[in-house]
Amino acid sequence: MQERDDNPQDEQLGRRLSAYQPPPPARGFYESAVQRALVARQQKKDRRRHLLGGLFGGLGVAAAAGLVAFLVGPMIAGVDDDSSELPEVTIALAEAQTVRLVFSSTEALVDATLTVSLPPGVELQGFPGQREVSWETSLAAGQNVLPLRLLAVGPTGGELLAHLEHDSRDKSFSLRISVT
Amino acid sequence: MAKAPDNERFTRVVQPHFDRLYGLAWRLSGQQASAEDLFQELMIKACLKLDELEQLDEPGAWLARVMYNLFVDEHRRFARQRLLLVGEGRLPGDGLAGFAGEDDPVRNAERDEETAELERALEKLGEEHRIVLLLHDADGYKLKEIQELMGVPIGTVKSRLHRARARFQEILVQRGTIPATQPCKR
Repeated sequence: MQERDDNPQDEQLGRRLSAYQPPPPARGFYESAVQRALVARQQKKDRRRHLLGGLFGGLGVAAAAGLVAFLVGPMIAGVDDDSSELPEVTIALAEAQTVRLVFSSTEALVDATLTVSLPPGVELQGFPGQREVSWETSLAAGQNVLPLRLLAVGPTGGELLAHLEHDSRDKSFSLRISVT
Repeated sequence: MAKAPDNERFTRVVQPHFDRLYGLAWRLSGQQASAEDLFQELMIKACLKLDELEQLDEPGAWLARVMYNLFVDEHRRFARQRLLLVGEGRLPGDGLAGFAGEDDPVRNAERDEETAELERALEKLGEEHRIVLLLHDADGYKLKEIQELMGVPIGTVKSRLHRARARFQEILVQRGTIPATQPCKR
């Protein structure tokens, strides 16, 4: 029972607000969240070294908006992703939004280097003013999700490039960022 | 004795708190996508501290406090809409209490408008007042729980609640949502 004053106005107000409840999450969201958390835990156990930890987590169910999938493939080649059309996400000006890049890898890639290059007017949260951010990480076999918290500080948008290097191989992935 | 697998251990600790934590995430962030992000961040943080989490007497309180701190640290600067149930919350079929089973379009429209009025009034409250008011009066959190969550003295929570109710009432009167001399009516 709530602790409430005997003030009838407060009680009326409370009743009004009590009917004001959030909707439940999307079906399967809890399970997906737990799965990602468990993958992050496992990766932390496995990780030998990293510069920016916690950016990758496995993804069991791709449920969120702003989600772009890339196929890393059995061997990384020095060419762009085969997709003929550039995937596109739209973000709002001056409003931080999470865009999730999903990398499907057929093999584990330990100590890979990922570089994200941003178009003008788009920043990565926590790295104001930086157009390029690079760090070492590892990909698990299967799906790996990279949540990028993007902030559009200008209206133009453009192409975001994610460049993955492992051993002497590399591959680039692109997506178009539109700003509304 | 060998430990149970991580997934069993983690699920056992966090699952009982899912709905309450998700509700908190929504109250703090104000929209579904942000609430899901916040919930996800919490799950990852909690899972990385699973060994500690299992030792706690009240893991739910710890989880709520960590979520609040995550919100304060990482989301406050960017969240533009908080504590509102606009947009996704009012789409058909989303399970929002009060809309389910209503076949009367006029009544539905009236309720839409009532909800919108509440949202507009809540928007005019300061963030800390909104949080206290909604957690206490809408979600049934106890004062002590809010105190622990926000890390402020109990007197501050009481004061914020008192002021939030008074201000909210005043705003509703100013907007003509409720009469000046009468308590709230449905």
